[in-house]
Amino acid sequence: MRFLLLLLLTLNLFAVDATLTIEKDVEQRTRIGLEDGSAFPNERLFHLLSSDLKISGHFLVDQTPHNGAFDSSMIAPVFKGQEYVLKYQMAQGAGTKLTVRLLQTANGHEVFKKSYAIASTAKMPFLVHKAVSDINDVLKYPSIAWINRYVVFSRYTSPRRSEIVLADYTFTYQKTIIRGGLNLFPVWADRNQKAFYYTSYRGLVPTLYKLNIYTGARTKVIASEGMMVCSDVSRDGNKLLLTMAPNGQPDIYELNLATGAKTRITTFNGIDVSGKYVDDESRIVFVSNRLGYANIFKKSIRGSAVSQVVYHGRNNNAVDAYGKKIVYTSRESSSAFGNNTFNLYLTAMDSTSTRPLTTTGSNQFPRFSSDGSVVQYIKHTPRGSSIGYINLQSKQSVLFPMNGRRIQSIDW
Amino acid sequence: MINQKIFATAAVAVLLLAGCGQPAPGGLDAGSKKGNAYEADTVSIDENRYGGSNSNSLANANSSSDGFQSIYFGFDQYTIPADMESYMAKNASVANSTSGSKIRIEGNCDEFGSDEYNYALGLKRAKAVKDALSMQGVPASRMVMVSYGESNPACSDATEACYAQNRRVDLRLAR
Repeated sequence: MRFLLLLLLTLNLFAVDATLTIEKDVEQRTRIGLEDGSAFPNERLFHLLSSDLKISGHFLVDQTPHNGAFDSSMIAPVFKGQEYVLKYQMAQGAGTKLTVRLLQTANGHEVFKKSYAIASTAKMPFLVHKAVSDINDVLKYPSIAWINRYVVFSRYTSPRRSEIVLADYTFTYQKTIIRGGLNLFPVWADRNQKAFYYTSYRGLVPTLYKLNIYTGARTKVIASEGMMVCSDVSRDGNKLLLTMAPNGQPDIYELNLATGAKTRITTFNGIDVSGKYVDDESRIVFVSNRLGYANIFKKSIRGSAVSQVVYHGRNNNAVDAYGKKIVYTSRESSSAFGNNTFNLYLTAMDSTSTRPLTTTGSNQFPRFSSDGSVVQYIKHTPRGSSIGYINLQSKQSVLFPMNGRRIQSIDW
Repeated sequence: MINQKIFATAAVAVLLLAGCGQPAPGGLDAGSKKGNAYEADTVSIDENRYGGSNSNSLANANSSSDGFQSIYFGFDQYTIPADMESYMAKNASVANSTSGSKIRIEGNCDEFGSDEYNYALGLKRAKAVKDALSMQGVPASRMVMVSYGESNPACSDATEACYAQNRRVDLRLAR
């Protein structure tokens, strides 16, 4: 048994990123087994539940699927080593219904029971995420509500053609929401994910639009010759950080949506892009090539002084921020076109500590979760592409395979 | 045995009561209608319905047209290489012979680099070409720049020779 556990752990570590040490004692996490009581057991459902529980950082999940009677409170002997058993039952017809029961293995006591239903069978993953989120709350762990959120991303379909897609965080659910032409850089416009900004290339110059995903209302925000990207949205949704180039020079601007006032934040003659609000939104971090290569810098929105944030790597060309936390991409290989090209690093505004989050493959598009506890990224390896998540506290990670088409930009 | 029966009966009763306590299915969380935005249907739109200019036409999309020559750049560079100067002279000549039309200058990149950085790099390449044409007498007001980043590759093989074909600026008359 010890050998088997060691083998499973080893396989798991090799499957993701070798640097991810299991820092938190596994005994501190709640041991839980899963039992499918559906009329037609569903392996995909098992993997979704298992992944949700794992990435929460609060559960140690038995990776063996089991089947059993859903309504019975008998605890099967195979769950002897677990603290809880999650019994689940899914039925799909006109819609999807999922019922879950959380039982204590010691005495069969039912801690939680709930039914979830949705008219769309395609949205089944959201039922699973909501159920796990609720179970997490019942056991009074820190919230993992971020697993319920939509991910919006753009992907190329052919040269000069792309589509913008809504997905659940595992990419199991996907729906194309904008097709036709070249539409890029989707960014959520509000915390409730009712609308997002995106750049359309339909006209002579790139133009930023806002699209309400429920009503289809589409409004023009601003246009710029050369390029136009919404890089970040303030917490209240009233201000945007834009990369635009009214004179052919890519710089970062802040647009006040209420007044229409536009403030130029950077004035460097090279490349300044990817502005992200930090601290209380009085400062930004951004990517600039002012040292001759792409690196991460910070500055006050009102002031003029610019400070280097990252003192590592020779090409750090993507960044995201949450509070004082910063995650960035660094090209590791000296060859411009080698394998193992990009890795993710976590640092802070004061640069007091920096640690790698990945060590294998090409890892790009880092994005913090809405609570800053998890980093989302895209991993490319010779075996294929995946969307990955790293829990910064528990250091656990999960990868979900993606099919084919190249991601252009992503937000969640 | 009697105790077991009593326990089983009580357990069934508790379960039935618990079941009765569950709200009827119909929403995602059968009791709560708040905060589950994905219950609602989302739209799906086709950008083509908004019309617009034909500047995004795919004809000759990943090369220059109308007599112009594409200009190629080094990795992560936006300075026009010396061996491209003769092409720039020809482009200036073509531009000056088509004085009635606007010229669209399109910056492109290879697939290496981040989303935004690549688009900025493509723009800097377009700006270098625009500035060079301005110095050869082409009015700035006739030229409009756009960066396509890595979205418009001329070649998709994983070779340096192929990547080099994608680090370019295309020129064409705007229609």
